[in-house]
Amino acid sequence: MNSVEIGIVDTRNIIRTIQDVYGYDFSNYALTSLKRRLEKIIEDSSLASADNLNMRLREDKPFFDDFLKDISVETTEMFRDPSLWRTLRDETIPGLMNDNLRFRIWIPVCVSGDELYSLAILLREMDCLHKVEIIASSFCERCIENIKQGVFSEKKYEISAENYRRFQGASEFEQYVKINGKTAVRDTSLLESTSFIRQNIIFDSSPRDVKLILFRNKIIYYNPGWQDKVLQIMHKSLSPKGHLIIGAKEKIRGNALKDYIVMNESENIFKKKFN
Amino acid sequence: MYKAVIIGGSAGSFQVVTKILNALPTHFPMPVLLCLHRLKHVRSGFVEALSIKSSIPVIEPFDKEQLKPGKAYLAPANYHMFLELANRIALSTEEPVNHSRPSIDLSFVTAAHAYRNKIIGIILSGANRDGAYGIKKLHDLGGTTIVQDPEECEVKTMTEASLKLTEVNYVFKTDQIIDFLLKLK
Repeated sequence: MNSVEIGIVDTRNIIRTIQDVYGYDFSNYALTSLKRRLEKIIEDSSLASADNLNMRLREDKPFFDDFLKDISVETTEMFRDPSLWRTLRDETIPGLMNDNLRFRIWIPVCVSGDELYSLAILLREMDCLHKVEIIASSFCERCIENIKQGVFSEKKYEISAENYRRFQGASEFEQYVKINGKTAVRDTSLLESTSFIRQNIIFDSSPRDVKLILFRNKIIYYNPGWQDKVLQIMHKSLSPKGHLIIGAKEKIRGNALKDYIVMNESENIFKKKFN
Repeated sequence: MYKAVIIGGSAGSFQVVTKILNALPTHFPMPVLLCLHRLKHVRSGFVEALSIKSSIPVIEPFDKEQLKPGKAYLAPANYHMFLELANRIALSTEEPVNHSRPSIDLSFVTAAHAYRNKIIGIILSGANRDGAYGIKKLHDLGGTTIVQDPEECEVKTMTEASLKLTEVNYVFKTDQIIDFLLKLK
């Protein structure tokens, strides 16, 4: 647990600083988890107080670049929820492959690259990695650098390998992720079909004509109003009959649900209606 | 005067939670939050098992779900369960705390901040220290704290760690916990 504790007012001050100095708007983030992340950053960088963090953010751009990475929450592991990945392989992707055209997949708000690499492995095993164009977007430059270099936390290796086994992959997990003492590295050739884009926190210039959006466990960090807004942005990016996947415990609320057909309730897979 | 009850438990707590949920009246006047350690990769089955004998509905909340009185909210597998402002649940996938996700410490600390002296925190049997810090925080912020009597626990680690860190309000056996909850208005 964090030993540093900050208040709601401190949190709001930091949000304002970031907005003023860098133009990133965190005001729509859910307060409890944002406050916790800030406390962790203050502790890990030995800053001792919210005021110190505020000052540092104002003066130190490289520090802010690291901050963007640390404030983002990872999706925790590769092949999280193996049943989702099985459904993707056995139902969703084959359904999207109907025509032989190359199709576009978007993974917004990439942090660790866990979803991206998992998907790339799945597609390579289906022999269709070359038939897709994956767009990985992130507001965090450091995150993109790490993903491109195949950086993977050794701590997550075991659970990810276990997930892969439950996913019943065609190969061995260690073929994709090599462990070397305290570090692990992923096979970056898996990124052959991926392009990375820097995107602001408000999802400016989002991709269009997307057939599949993999967007799990990201909106849990937003407040309800912003969740709805972001889901509208996703809807706009999808091509007709395009699929949206959100986290197992995330929800499309109210009227927005009318724009989708629920394809799989337990895995939260939705298909955009034709019009 | 209380607005919520939060219960944390791990190994050996299932029977106790079942007994408590069974004893509660169907119109229990506040929500009951349950943060129980569970397997990360098994998403279904747990809430169903708890529901069988419960007299109030047991649900695994969606993110930002609004808490309602007379319902029990079980932390979903592989998510932390926070209390957000305005009586809402917030889920998180951030790193495990005490090797646990859901972490009892995290649920308790966020609930303590949200409800201050209007919450009752209960730590049950468990084989891990998770929860000890949480109940301390809840106590420090004015909440009412109860720890299951270690003598009665199948595994004492969690309750003993809690008692070592905090002078809680009550050390109760299961039946006493139930009596206490039944008196709440």
